Amino acid sequence: MAKILDKQRYKCAMSAMSTVQAIERAIPILHAGPGCAQKLSNSAGNSGFFSPNIFPCTSINERDVVFGGEKKLRSTIENSLKVIDADLYVVLTGCTPEIVGDTVDEIVSEFADNAKPVIFASTPGFKGNNYKGHEWVVDALVEQLLEPVPDSEKEPGLVNVWADVPYQDEFWSGNLRALEDLLAVIGLKPNTIFGHGRGIENVRKIPKAAFNLLVSPWVGLANVKKMKEKFGTPYFHWPTLPIGAFETSKFLRAVTEFAGLDKARTEKFIAEKEANYYYYIERFADIFLETRSMSKEFSVIADAQYALGITKFLVNDLGRFPAKQYIVDDTPAEYQEAVRGYFRDLNYGIEAEAAFGVDGYKIHEEIKKTDYHGYPLLLGSYWEKELAQKTDAHFLNVSWPVNERLVINGFYVGYDGGLRLLEDIYSVVRTRFN
Amino acid sequence: MTKKTLRQIAIYGKGGIGKSTTTQNLTAGLAENGAQVLVVGCDPKADSTRLLLGGLAQKTVLDTLREEGEDIELKRILKTGYQGTRCVESGGPEPGVGCAGRGIITSIGLLERLGAYTEDLDYVFYAVLGDVVCGGFAMPIREGKAKEIYIVASGEMMSLYAANNIAKGIQRYAKRGGVRMGGIICNSRNVDREVELLRAFAEELGTKLIYFVPRDNIVQHAEIHRKTVIEYRPESKQAEEYRELAHSIEINRDFTIPKPMTQERLEGILMEYGLMEDLKDDYRI
Repeated sequence: MAKILDKQRYKCAMSAMSTVQAIERAIPILHAGPGCAQKLSNSAGNSGFFSPNIFPCTSINERDVVFGGEKKLRSTIENSLKVIDADLYVVLTGCTPEIVGDTVDEIVSEFADNAKPVIFASTPGFKGNNYKGHEWVVDALVEQLLEPVPDSEKEPGLVNVWADVPYQDEFWSGNLRALEDLLAVIGLKPNTIFGHGRGIENVRKIPKAAFNLLVSPWVGLANVKKMKEKFGTPYFHWPTLPIGAFETSKFLRAVTEFAGLDKARTEKFIAEKEANYYYYIERFADIFLETRSMSKEFSVIADAQYALGITKFLVNDLGRFPAKQYIVDDTPAEYQEAVRGYFRDLNYGIEAEAAFGVDGYKIHEEIKKTDYHGYPLLLGSYWEKELAQKTDAHFLNVSWPVNERLVINGFYVGYDGGLRLLEDIYSVVRTRFN
Repeated sequence: MTKKTLRQIAIYGKGGIGKSTTTQNLTAGLAENGAQVLVVGCDPKADSTRLLLGGLAQKTVLDTLREEGEDIELKRILKTGYQGTRCVESGGPEPGVGCAGRGIITSIGLLERLGAYTEDLDYVFYAVLGDVVCGGFAMPIREGKAKEIYIVASGEMMSLYAANNIAKGIQRYAKRGGVRMGGIICNSRNVDREVELLRAFAEELGTKLIYFVPRDNIVQHAEIHRKTVIEYRPESKQAEEYRELAHSIEINRDFTIPKPMTQERLEGILMEYGLMEDLKDDYRI
């Protein structure tokens, strides 16, 4: 894990408690010190049936360190089962019990016969960040809860869709719904597990899917590979979050090809949506063409998913030119080369340089020294607000932490998502005297 | 009356090398001369004070803490043994569970709170298990409790390897605090040219061989009888050896920062001193 002094852009692996929380009626049971959950629960939009303030936690102390915290974990699980009405209980471990060496799997296995499933994921912060933690929780579902089904039980057209990391991406809910809608229209039955009305029922459907669709540069790749191994489910990896007409149409055609769907149906849908999309572009063409204060060049400071999705949209759909793009999710080294490659694959022969790093100071110093040939356009986290003020940039807060805007079910995915992003960007640009 | 200077001494060494036997016999030697000694066993096996107490007589600090909590009296965990030596065993969690290193930290912290470190003490000995495997086991030196370290070693290669490793730990803490190496105590295993080898090793390490304790079966007899040799056979030659060891430590004022060596250098010393040239290829035991 990289060193972070300030401008933290992700959290530790146990923040995957948010991934658990995003599964309706699933609750994390934390085996950690008393402060961890409090520190990790500062995302927006996570109250409800279970709010983070009622997550059960062993709140281990020195005695548990010396003698092991297994007894306390057992009683915490027992009592959670008594007082919390959930469909799925996921034990997550913090750093301390992992150092001390509590055998969490053994304790959890004692609850194998419980009517509601109890599983666990090892999520010590020293092992990785919440992008990895998210993967470990999904792996735990695959490994401990689900079993392969015979071919006769596979459902043709059923596709598990994996994209955003819930709560780390504030648009997770809206994006997933938008992806579902797109896929349903071209003839698939999308299955997602996060958000309203999905829950354990959809989790149980995972092994029945005809294939897994991963819309993400690297997060989730390990999961779909594991599912291929365990359930024999093939996967289709589309690295770019489709924002706007160009990428969305390309995405839909690729999925149609992979899944052997009706091409004519897909083309018909694409034609309708593009006509609608360009109708709006045309109606507001004056704004796009005549807003002289609009930036020519931009930088995205976000995780690989947003940096890539937005870069492609701004170049391919909006004709902006990419300055350097900053990927701040601590992308594992094994994926970096592939991710760099995606940034070189832009229209009009344009290539974007993607830099990996988490040192906010260095990123800001670089941006300050960069000539954007006009007002810079910066799309990033709340930390970039101050930088934008210093560099006279147009600034939109799209990546965590998101502090000064509220995202309920907003989304940037798809044709409509692209228009939303245009609205958001130009709403900032138009505040400046033209 | 002038305030006594308390010497806090930690004894390290490879597991099974005879740290607790040596520590107890040496403390018996000091106690015989009227010194006030506290022995703190820092090994989860809790067998560092058995010979002074005539058996595994007291409950460990951590067992007491686990069963009764922190609200206990010192006398529940501190027992008096041979010649008034005060004995404590820190103990540990069950094997394979929890963090024994943190246990030692907790346990010494509790001893301090309960007032075990009284002003009349001349010595506190910490008998720490095996190697300095993690920060917890370095606690007596890390937190500046023990300022004086002795390593028990023999002419066997693995014991010297462990001693060199321990010296790395000492060096780390010596650089930022007052921790110093007092010397190497050889607990003889009767290997070839052991004295020369240990002297050369100690010199290379930047310290000295403070005493060579010869091997004598009487030590086993005494252990079976749950006694130090000094108590079991006070007139024996081995008892005299331990008294000499105690005396060497008592008068020792030569404390250094060790200079741990590379694996190659260590093996070089073994090649140089660890073989008897005139007994080539004779592996009789």
